[in-house]
Amino acid sequence: MADRYNSSPVNDVTPLLEMRGISKSFPGVRALDDVSLTAIAGEVHFLLGQNGAGKSTLMRVLCGAHHPDAGEIVLDGAPVRLTSPADARRIGVAVIFQEFSLVPYLNLAQNIFLGREPRGILPGTVNHRKMHADARRLLDTLGVDLDTRTLAHELGVAQQQVVEIAKALSQDARILVMDEPTAALSDHEIDRLFARIRALTAEGVAIIYISHRLQEVAAIGDRVTVLRDGKNVATLNSSQATVNELVHLMVGRQVETIYRRKFCEQPGDVVLDVRALDADNGVQGASLTVRAGEVVGLAGVVGAGRSELARAIFGADRVVGGSVRVNGQPLGRGPVSAVRAGVGLVPESRKTEGLALMRSVEDNILVAGLRKIFPSGWYCARAAAHVAADIVSRLRIATPSTGRLTRFLSGGSQQKVVIGKWFAAGSRFFIFDEPTRGIDVGAKAEIYGVIEKLVADGAAVLMISSELPEMVAVCDRAYVVRDKRIVGELTRADLNEANILRLAMHHDA
Amino acid sequence: MRSVPGAAYLLAILVVVFAIFGSGFATMANVLNIGVQSSVLLLLALPMTLIIMTEGLDLSMGAVLSLAGVVLAWMLMHEHGLPIALAAAAGVGLAFGVANGGLVVGLGLPPFVATLGTLGIAQGLALVITGGQSVTGIGDALPALYESRPAGIPFSMAIAVAAFFVFRFTLSQTRFGSYVSALGGNREALVLAGVRANAYHVSVYALGGAMAGLAALLLTGRMSAGHPTAAIGMEFDAVAAVIVGGTSFERGKGSLGGTLIGVLTIGVLKNGLNVLAIPSSLQVASIGVLVIVALVIDSGLKK
Repeated sequence: MADRYNSSPVNDVTPLLEMRGISKSFPGVRALDDVSLTAIAGEVHFLLGQNGAGKSTLMRVLCGAHHPDAGEIVLDGAPVRLTSPADARRIGVAVIFQEFSLVPYLNLAQNIFLGREPRGILPGTVNHRKMHADARRLLDTLGVDLDTRTLAHELGVAQQQVVEIAKALSQDARILVMDEPTAALSDHEIDRLFARIRALTAEGVAIIYISHRLQEVAAIGDRVTVLRDGKNVATLNSSQATVNELVHLMVGRQVETIYRRKFCEQPGDVVLDVRALDADNGVQGASLTVRAGEVVGLAGVVGAGRSELARAIFGADRVVGGSVRVNGQPLGRGPVSAVRAGVGLVPESRKTEGLALMRSVEDNILVAGLRKIFPSGWYCARAAAHVAADIVSRLRIATPSTGRLTRFLSGGSQQKVVIGKWFAAGSRFFIFDEPTRGIDVGAKAEIYGVIEKLVADGAAVLMISSELPEMVAVCDRAYVVRDKRIVGELTRADLNEANILRLAMHHDA
Repeated sequence: MRSVPGAAYLLAILVVVFAIFGSGFATMANVLNIGVQSSVLLLLALPMTLIIMTEGLDLSMGAVLSLAGVVLAWMLMHEHGLPIALAAAAGVGLAFGVANGGLVVGLGLPPFVATLGTLGIAQGLALVITGGQSVTGIGDALPALYESRPAGIPFSMAIAVAAFFVFRFTLSQTRFGSYVSALGGNREALVLAGVRANAYHVSVYALGGAMAGLAALLLTGRMSAGHPTAAIGMEFDAVAAVIVGGTSFERGKGSLGGTLIGVLTIGVLKNGLNVLAIPSSLQVASIGVLVIVALVIDSGLKK
């Protein structure tokens, strides 16, 4: 078994690229711990792992954007030092990130040769004729029939990706990193992309391929490296790798109990009842229920549409079909009616959507509940202070006073202020979107404690999380979202990381 | 130019309306008059187009132009000669442009705030230097140059037309031009392409300042004097012309041809209202209306 999980290149092949023992820490996190990766000329090497496993950090090290704390990068058997993206480009590393790097109002030729324009006769000028001819030749080798004078913003996603590939090739890339290249492509476009990838590898380019779509490993991969918690787990030949095995490797160890709560035995009445919900943000046909006393999870990979679903339920994005009922009453349009019906949204980015950072703890706590606390419309400072102080003590928010600006609080305390805001508004149904992102471990347990106390008091919670252990430890049930649809429901008995990953990643399971 | 900005239709309508109702509007003398009046504005609006393309703004241009005009006049009054006086004016403009760029790019201040600050400084300096009075007695060299007619067209128009073509060439044919669009459209891409984005970014603002200094030549020439408040509020007209011409504050989209149309639209509007003897206070309001109508037409055309 050990050998199967340590597939090294055939002996007489010198790897094109070796990353050896790469470690990288950020404050509070060890993102990469002694990670190694080799790439051979002409292979498609998959890099797999859960969110936060270290894939992106490793690729940022490779493209010179992060400097590793330890380890070395070896190219053609010789160590290289990468201090900037320019260094990486010079040795032939090109990265196609998910967010494309095209300039919308420059044409294709200008985009492909950005920063490396052929010189014209006068100083500072560009030889447009040569640039367009070179671009034409590149696009021809890729079998692309696009006018080089087209502006980038006029292209569809698939075409933009082709331009990115052309841009990489124009830099004589020998190692091409593709981050979720098929995320936005149709099946037909994926076929064309794979054909291009095969043509590139036939010319000796090594491709490092990051994807959440595990069935692509068999379709196009040569080898697979799996990362977990910033460490190497395995490198194996893709012919040996089944989807189930890959899921197993990504999940790995039995979940250490990060938190154990008493799960809900007897859920109460239905609080949230969503039926066949369509929204203009792409959510389609979503149906789900949450009962009093339950924590229900919304699982899925980043970009699957969980936040969109939550925003549609809350009324922050426009609903075009289906119904949302809270305590049996249909919700009207917009967040105002959701808040009045007792729904509280704790959004993903608390600093931009959840808090007014330059206002005090008290102001933030009261902002959603003013109408409820002061129905007459007259503000009473003493009553306001009383309500805020009460919530601060109930949630045990670590702040020297209720007058402290929220920007000075820790991440965990900030999150509690956002939750406290909905206490003041009298919410009985809470939507948590990534409630523990960027919060240290101790504070995480406290947030879980708050959630548990909420449901123990008869409230209902819908929780979005990308951290699978958290999902498994905290939720009574979970729905899995993929491509903006709900693709499955997992009851307590079936709720484990492997089942979530299977539902969240299988393209056609 | 790929698409005609909404302002082109407005310009055509305004010309027709004024030609019918304003006696003396459609004369050769008045057409040249519009051209002369629009020249200074075009010199500001051209670099303003590039600055707005980088998702920036320069509110200090009018004040810097006033200050440079005062400096130019003062140097001429003290008989330093036109070339040196012009160099001093351009130098003052350039210094303010570099300062704007440094504040925006180096310190990361919002362009609105940074250039509002330098607006105040430039305006204040102009008033301090002159004690609030006009600087007169600037000799004959500049007025003579201003009254000259190279190739038969008024000097200020010749300068403005030349500047337009230089800017067109720069935006379409040089690396600098591509990078201006990239700074607004996708700055990260420019940085990852190994381009010294900060240096280019500062130089866009520096160019704006230098052009304000150059415009002082025309403004002071026209008035044969330096007035510390001569160009107050002209940045408003410049921004209006750029927006009316279809340049966007987002994604590095911009068109110098559109800006030319925007400048002419404002020039025709002001001139036509004068011909119709409508009070000047209403002219400012009319430019505001013009901006909104042009944008409404543009958003209508998109759909």
